[in-house]
Amino acid sequence: MTGRLEGTRCLVTGGSRGLGRELCLAFAREGARVAFTFRRREADAEDTTLRLRALGCEPQCFQGDVADGAHAQAVVGALTRAWGGLDVLVNNAGVQHVVPLALLEEPDWDLMLNTCLKGPYLFSRAALRGMIRARKGTILNVGVFSSERIVEAPAHYAAAKAGLRGLTDALAREVGRHGVRVNMLSPGLLDVGLGRMLMPHRVEEYRAQAALGRTGTAEEVARMAVFLVSDENTFMTGARVTPDGGL
Amino acid sequence: MGALLHPTTSLCRTCKRALPALVEAREDRSVWLSKSCPEHGAQSVRLSTDAAWYAATRAVKPVASAPRRTPRPVHFGCPFDCGACAQHGQKVRLPVVTITSACNLDCPICYVYNKNDGTWHMDVAAFRRILQHLKDDLGEVDIVNFTGGEPFLHPEFMTFLEVARDAGVHRVTICSNGLFLAKNEPLVKRLGELGARVALSFDTFDPQTDVVLQGSRLVEAKLRALDLTEKYNVDVTLIPVMTKGMNDHEVGAILRMAMERPNVRHVELHTITYTGQGGTHFDPSRSGRISMVEVLDRIAETTHGWLTREDFVSSPCAHPLCYQIAYLLLDPDGGPPVPFTRFMPREALYACLAERLYLEPSRALEDALQDAMDRLWVSDEPEAERTLKILRQLLGALFPRDRVITREEALRAAERASKAVYVHSHMDEDTFDVERLAQCCDSNCAEDGTTIPVCAYNVLYKEKEAEFMAAPRSWGERSGDVKLRRLAVLA
Repeated sequence: MTGRLEGTRCLVTGGSRGLGRELCLAFAREGARVAFTFRRREADAEDTTLRLRALGCEPQCFQGDVADGAHAQAVVGALTRAWGGLDVLVNNAGVQHVVPLALLEEPDWDLMLNTCLKGPYLFSRAALRGMIRARKGTILNVGVFSSERIVEAPAHYAAAKAGLRGLTDALAREVGRHGVRVNMLSPGLLDVGLGRMLMPHRVEEYRAQAALGRTGTAEEVARMAVFLVSDENTFMTGARVTPDGGL
Repeated sequence: MGALLHPTTSLCRTCKRALPALVEAREDRSVWLSKSCPEHGAQSVRLSTDAAWYAATRAVKPVASAPRRTPRPVHFGCPFDCGACAQHGQKVRLPVVTITSACNLDCPICYVYNKNDGTWHMDVAAFRRILQHLKDDLGEVDIVNFTGGEPFLHPEFMTFLEVARDAGVHRVTICSNGLFLAKNEPLVKRLGELGARVALSFDTFDPQTDVVLQGSRLVEAKLRALDLTEKYNVDVTLIPVMTKGMNDHEVGAILRMAMERPNVRHVELHTITYTGQGGTHFDPSRSGRISMVEVLDRIAETTHGWLTREDFVSSPCAHPLCYQIAYLLLDPDGGPPVPFTRFMPREALYACLAERLYLEPSRALEDALQDAMDRLWVSDEPEAERTLKILRQLLGALFPRDRVITREEALRAAERASKAVYVHSHMDEDTFDVERLAQCCDSNCAEDGTTIPVCAYNVLYKEKEAEFMAAPRSWGERSGDVKLRRLAVLA
């Protein structure tokens, strides 16, 4: 049986843990070739690699900072040499940092914006050269529900993700004529990352607000991502998909 | 005669019959409770050295939260219908379960009755029934406090812990004198694994004072117990009993130790009560009696002001004269701890304590902290920057950038960033005030579903139980004359 992403060449930034890892695994299950980047957590990256191998996928793994332009160029260059090109880029890498404005210092702002906004710009720009040349490709930017709704969220995080929304819209318009689709996936509270750390009353508040009355799973979001980057999705670009349980 | 503050009902010091009593402020600003027993004459006791503080504190209204179930009818009147009866104002927030009559000490200030000859141990099935009653009453049971005697002397103690854990009780505390812990490292290790907490009696650093209060030199053993609990990550509440002229000057040193030891979460300072097998005979002149406000002032004196009476709020879950609570934020850089009231209004701290006797993560607490951070940020006060820095470090521990931690790890990080100091004033026959009793949220829980406020239990009820007394007293013999007379009328 052929997978929905059979032979598709996918790169996921920030793929060593959490939602990024789940995306890598979901793509591999559908027959994709998978590469991912990570910054610091070598043990997590090793774990993701082992899980991907267990699925019959031999991943490419790159350590570096997504906000480093040389790193972006090197990763895309290496994959182009190894695979002959790149079909899918998922800009997933993010920073987990919860502070109110009163405690938000300039370095915090810079780190967040660099990782969540400059990084997608750098990796998109690096990947788009090949995609435009091939007149085919898809970029999926991972946002967050808090940039789509007026909810409590760290200001730098919401701002970075809202900026990513603007980048998505503009790029979708700019590269659509080359057959490249750019979409945004902005999940709600999940069973990974911050969703695991929040105090029960916070999770309960989310459940109370969500039409489905629960938080989501990374696996659910990854299934949505598979559709968005697959060839089944032929007409959607510049879209914002918000799987959040109905906030 | 002084200015009347309020009338109440108290007990005769000798026969424990209920007596009408008056609480008055005298010219020297002290507050006295006076009553007269037809048989044993006039009696009075000083409740406070500061009438203004007493009146202002008493004026704080607890949050109304009556028990869902009141198995005892109002028959003889408070305090002879425990419990709970329909007149009781608070549900149980601290369920106390007395699991053994055995104790390995005979402290001169012990305020309960124990029995080592013909020792009684609660059976596990009885505890399961208690838990079920509590669940029926409260919906969820998030805390249970085991006491005795010395709970670790119960031969099935670990089973009790496991039953509590399996029932979802996430805060199990064990009152202990620490001797058993000091000699039993594997036990302490197991407590750490089960997440149990120890409420360790710790009255003094001075060996001579130790002999007077505890009947033996125990400081070394208690410090050893503290070392072991620290080694195995067992959270500890220190329980010093304040006795004027004996150890009240040491309160600052005890608090400093609590701040320095990472696993000490709370200090609960008790004011001495002259009840139980020790307390009834200790210090016949009762010159060691110390009021709550005096303890607060000793704290301010001996901590040189890093904790003052203005840093304390009453518990909304109890009568305001029973609990005073201060929370402090620890400075990871070694500066003095910062009481919460220095960066949030006292009303906000009070509101955050509305649901429990202790702070837990809640929307109210988050909002109060958010408000505090904004206020500190716009403030020009010199301490504001330090406090903000501490709060920033706390958030960094709660939401580390480089890894995902579990909710439980976050909760522990939050707990480790702060400490609490409670002043808890129990009552004896002299100070007994049914107004306070009716708002008690600490109750001794029995397998038949009764919950008796701890002060009533210690003063009136426990001495009637054969489990704890070689010669149990009967109603009317040395307590509850009113109950006897009413019973006679009924007969």
